Amino acid sequence: MPGDPIEQLMGNHFNINTYNLLRHKYGFDEPIYIRFFVYLGNLFTGNWGQTFVVGKGMDVWTLIWQRFPRTAELAILAIVFAAILGVNTGVISATHRNKTQDTVIRGSSLIGVAMPVFWLGLLFQLAFANKNFPWTDFFPQIGYMSVNTIVYYPVTSITGFTLIDSLIQGNFFAFWDHVQHLVLPTITLGLITLASISRQTRSSMLEVLEQDYIRTARAKGVKEYTVIHKHALNNAMIPATTIIGLSIAGLLGGAVLTENVFSYDGLGMLLVEAISDKDYFLINAITFLLTLIFVIVNLITDIIYGFLDPRIRLE
Amino acid sequence: MAFLIHASVWNDKVNLHMETEEENKILDVLKFIFWPRYRLERLVKQKDEMEQFESKRGFFKRMNAPLTIVGMVIIFTVFFIAIFAPWLTPYTDSQLRGIMGPYYQKPSLDHLLGTTVFGEDVLGRIIWGARTSLSIGFTSLMIALIGGIIVGLTAAYFGGAYDNIMMRIMDILLAFPELVLALVIIGVFPQTVTNYRLTAILIAFGVLSIPIYARLLRGSVLSVKQNQYVEAAKVGGASDIRIMFRHIMVNCLSPIIVNFSFDVGGIILSLAGISFLGFGDPSMIEWGNDLSVARSNILTAWWAVTFPGLAILFTVFGFMLLGDGLRDALDPRLKNL
Repeated sequence: MPGDPIEQLMGNHFNINTYNLLRHKYGFDEPIYIRFFVYLGNLFTGNWGQTFVVGKGMDVWTLIWQRFPRTAELAILAIVFAAILGVNTGVISATHRNKTQDTVIRGSSLIGVAMPVFWLGLLFQLAFANKNFPWTDFFPQIGYMSVNTIVYYPVTSITGFTLIDSLIQGNFFAFWDHVQHLVLPTITLGLITLASISRQTRSSMLEVLEQDYIRTARAKGVKEYTVIHKHALNNAMIPATTIIGLSIAGLLGGAVLTENVFSYDGLGMLLVEAISDKDYFLINAITFLLTLIFVIVNLITDIIYGFLDPRIRLE
Repeated sequence: MAFLIHASVWNDKVNLHMETEEENKILDVLKFIFWPRYRLERLVKQKDEMEQFESKRGFFKRMNAPLTIVGMVIIFTVFFIAIFAPWLTPYTDSQLRGIMGPYYQKPSLDHLLGTTVFGEDVLGRIIWGARTSLSIGFTSLMIALIGGIIVGLTAAYFGGAYDNIMMRIMDILLAFPELVLALVIIGVFPQTVTNYRLTAILIAFGVLSIPIYARLLRGSVLSVKQNQYVEAAKVGGASDIRIMFRHIMVNCLSPIIVNFSFDVGGIILSLAGISFLGFGDPSMIEWGNDLSVARSNILTAWWAVTFPGLAILFTVFGFMLLGDGLRDALDPRLKNL
């Protein structure tokens, strides 16, 4: 079997008797359909198994829920950043069609779509976290929090989200330190998503601006700002919402890469560690969790879509 | 150049001999092809005549957008580099994998883009890396294309329970975030056997791209199936396979061609990402591997990080531009996108 977890666990100390014992202990000697149902049962009861290597026998459930809020923090900040900027640039691009602003925004969003996210992170490290020059040393290069802060200003976990926890406890030093560590990963992850949101907003905006009711609104003498930001944007946001929902998949994949570039201790780092150590249960659990998030976000997007566009509900 | 312009001025007044006229024609044709919106009465007429029997929908005229041409030039360049790699660098494939000299030399005349930690020429590795990226991208997409055509075409054509089962399987595959699942599939293969790694990469990218093509194809097959010529073919006694491939599939290709161009770019990106995380084949000359090795010394050797990434960006940008152009040309309604 390629990458047998028990073989990996035993490493150099391979011994066929111990191997069979361990296989029995973790239930690998059962037929596959029984293993599948056992796995499903364990999934719902929260018994996600133990880690082999990464946490040295830690409970997978505890380990994952320790790391998950950090990735969630990063992803939520990134998507908010991307959505706000992306919609605005898309609107500017559509209202200034074929002018300089439009060309610049379209060109840069095309480059953004083609940009390798990890390379962008590395470039940001060179430009804004480079200790070799005083004028490029703005942010910490890697990590989730500096070692000093973890030792001298520890944040006890209440909600799991460090930003919220440190504010609740009044630990502003840790809060500020964490914010500084979040800036570069958030921008890196957000810029990639921004590009596709901007492109989608532009195209749906262009479609809406040609509609009759926009001409009517202008003819009535409604202010141009109101026409664009109320009459047009409300309708153009409907397809843009779908794209924001769909970009979550790219965002999760991007988060794995971004977290690795910045050594940010989230789920993505954990997944990569788990895969390189063949930590069987941990890989299963993280993949399951990421997929679950993706599916739930898509479901929510579909429901929101129904609210925004009543025509969909009627069909 | 000056000579040609001079000759063209003369051309109006004096009836020159044939040679200069021929050269003018060539220059005009070149201008006509490469200069956006450059029009000549005679050539426009010729082109229209040509298009009438080449394509009724004016496909080539619509492909003649500046950005699309830039994309095609980029892709042509990358293919040229990939094919003629041995002639473009003084280094051979095996030389670029071994330890060649002192590590991290700055860009100089000997090494135009500097050297890596193992003393290999960065430019040489970029040039040879084009081969890896393109061949893995196209091979795995071929797997996806063949699988997608088989699944999508048969599902839409036969319908019923078979269609339902196939599409549910595709939905399950689509439910996973692509990069994460590819990472897991490639990661759990044993690291010791190199051939397994390459197979795993091809299978992971190939199989994970099947659902996109299957769904695209199914959608357009369902609408094409309603046409009367399909019924006529059935009445004429054509077999199912003949109807599927000769009558239906030929009319469903345009969304697939567009998606193919985008996907080549996407797979080159994902491949680089996976190599960057260290789950690619470390013995391969690949842009992601270069980044993966160089990232730990990023502050001392910026050149070993910057240029391979630039190569990835350049290539993927080309495929995205071509995809945009193809979509505009094949389906003009989507022009705004």
